[in-house]
Amino acid sequence: MRIVVWAQDETLRRAIDDFAAEHDAEVIDATGQTAKKLLDELRTAPNLLVIESGAIPIAELRAEASASGTALVVACHDTPQCEAAALANADEWILLPVQPDELRIRLRTAQDRAEGVTTRRRAEETVQLLRYEELLYDRLTGFPTLPVMIQRARELLDARGELTILYIHFVWFSKIEEIYGWQRLDDVLEASADAVREFYARERMNGDGAMLLAHIADDDFILFTHVPPDPEQADRRLRALTTRLEGFLRARIEEQHGEEIAALCGIYVGTSTVFRNPKIRTERLIYRSIREAADAARGAEAWELTHKVADLKATLREGAVYMEYHPIIDTQTEAIYGYEALARGIRRSLRSPEVLFEVAEEANLIWELSRLLRQRAVQGIKSQLRKDQFLFLNVDPHDFDDPVFRDLQPEDLGIEDPGRLVFEITERTAIRDYPRFQTYLTAFRERGFRFAVDDAGSGYAGLGSIANLAPDYIKLDISLISNIDTNFLKQNLVETMVQFAEGQGVRVVAEGVERREEFETVRDLGVHLTQGFLFHRPGRRAIPA
Amino acid sequence: MKDAPILVVDDDPDALDIVQTFLESQGYRVVTASSGREALAKLEELRPALVLLDVMMPEMDGWEVSRTIKNHPTLSGIRVVMLTARGEFADKQEGLRAGADDYIVKPIRLDELGQKVKRNLEAGRRAA
Repeated sequence: MRIVVWAQDETLRRAIDDFAAEHDAEVIDATGQTAKKLLDELRTAPNLLVIESGAIPIAELRAEASASGTALVVACHDTPQCEAAALANADEWILLPVQPDELRIRLRTAQDRAEGVTTRRRAEETVQLLRYEELLYDRLTGFPTLPVMIQRARELLDARGELTILYIHFVWFSKIEEIYGWQRLDDVLEASADAVREFYARERMNGDGAMLLAHIADDDFILFTHVPPDPEQADRRLRALTTRLEGFLRARIEEQHGEEIAALCGIYVGTSTVFRNPKIRTERLIYRSIREAADAARGAEAWELTHKVADLKATLREGAVYMEYHPIIDTQTEAIYGYEALARGIRRSLRSPEVLFEVAEEANLIWELSRLLRQRAVQGIKSQLRKDQFLFLNVDPHDFDDPVFRDLQPEDLGIEDPGRLVFEITERTAIRDYPRFQTYLTAFRERGFRFAVDDAGSGYAGLGSIANLAPDYIKLDISLISNIDTNFLKQNLVETMVQFAEGQGVRVVAEGVERREEFETVRDLGVHLTQGFLFHRPGRRAIPA
Repeated sequence: MKDAPILVVDDDPDALDIVQTFLESQGYRVVTASSGREALAKLEELRPALVLLDVMMPEMDGWEVSRTIKNHPTLSGIRVVMLTARGEFADKQEGLRAGADDYIVKPIRLDELGQKVKRNLEAGRRAA
């Protein structure tokens, strides 16, 4: 075999050398040559011509390559170049940088095409096929294993006559990153990928030798398998496999990251089966089927959301929420200064407050939910609060768009001293219109309410919001507090915050204090209040004196 | 066992020289690197107790090096102290995101350098 190469890209050159070594082929390096020289080379009828896109217009080479039976392969720097190559009737194309596995398959397919083993596609059909690939490429910044996988899937389909695709779609309730930090999110993503791999390995061990795994995007996967020909049995087995898969993944995530995080994760599996059809191109069948399975997985997600929305509506109707109260401790006296009210759904599917709010947002029921939670939070602890204790309630900036909240009077909540009520502003979304927001805050202050900036130092709640909101309290995010006893940078930041706060008459609360050392450090830095598992976990009622 | 060395990373050879000379005079073992990449390449083998990391370096800045260290499965225990030209709050927040343990504002005062190195080494031993 003889391969003519025009390429400056190192990955391509190396991959071709490897390919040539495997196939005992001769490589003719034509890099830098003119179109005329290349045409001369083509007349010697090499088996393959690989050129980097942009070097020489493909159209000039096409006719000569066809005449000499040479397969023409174009290496492209981006997908528009791929499309141009397809339109110019190249036999095959490949995206740079090259993966050796992929190149091998692309070169073989190109040869098949040039030799007429496979019927030559019409250019438009090729472009359509490319779009299928691109659909998948799109979501995933480079997915070199896809063509490799498709090739194997093709072999399976040819051998067995049918192939079933399981599309695994992970959904992370978006706040996970803001609540737990991106490192945590990365860990969880990695754990889910590991769990999929483990499941794949296990099922394969169980005798289903025909399974295949591919990774799509950050958090979606494709499994190929085959099911028995009897449709009834196939259906049952597929359902069992899907249930097993979902159960396994959920258990793994729960095991490694706890129930709270598992509750923030949705796992949806969509399936689709392809049957061999000699009239339709195999790749197209497979791509189409992957999309069907992906749509089915997203359909499952939408279906579950519909159920959750129904659950939320019932929750709002029945008032099926309960409150937990997390004590806030005076750092000097270690006495209970007040409580932060935390909402929980009674239905299991809505237990986590993050899910509760996300579903409410989706269903446009945020105001209704917030109203219910405010009433409940106050009712649940009012009679147990001592005269000198405070109640902290979470509000979202969007709550101020609700006229009922905007006009909230202390008597609406049945409280005598509005100064004991602190609204914690949690910036789930960035505040866009500060001047308008400030007029709302001023009105609240005039009624006697107080404010805290929640999660300061994370997400949107930076120095800007502290300056703009002029709060009575600054609650420092857990990311600033954890391991502060050994991190001097964090100590310095907290010290700066305390100095600033003292000058403004603001109190600083350290959230997420879990160890005695952390407590002592923040106390010595002058932090006024702390909250965290070190002293108390959230409970259903106030702690008796 | 010999104490783990201190790795100093700065693209400015003069700054490297001052820090190295001072720390060696205090009895520490010091290794230098003049770029982020060089530092990362040396880390595995060197296993330093502490990395003093300049923020403003071409190609790969100090934040990126710090993030790489702190996300590494086996190297994340290494203490990272940033050498920053500014003492601004925004810089400290960036440092926090990059997982840094402490920072020193440039131009460096040698007494401060000595103190910060000492207490970071102690904190590192306590945490280990």
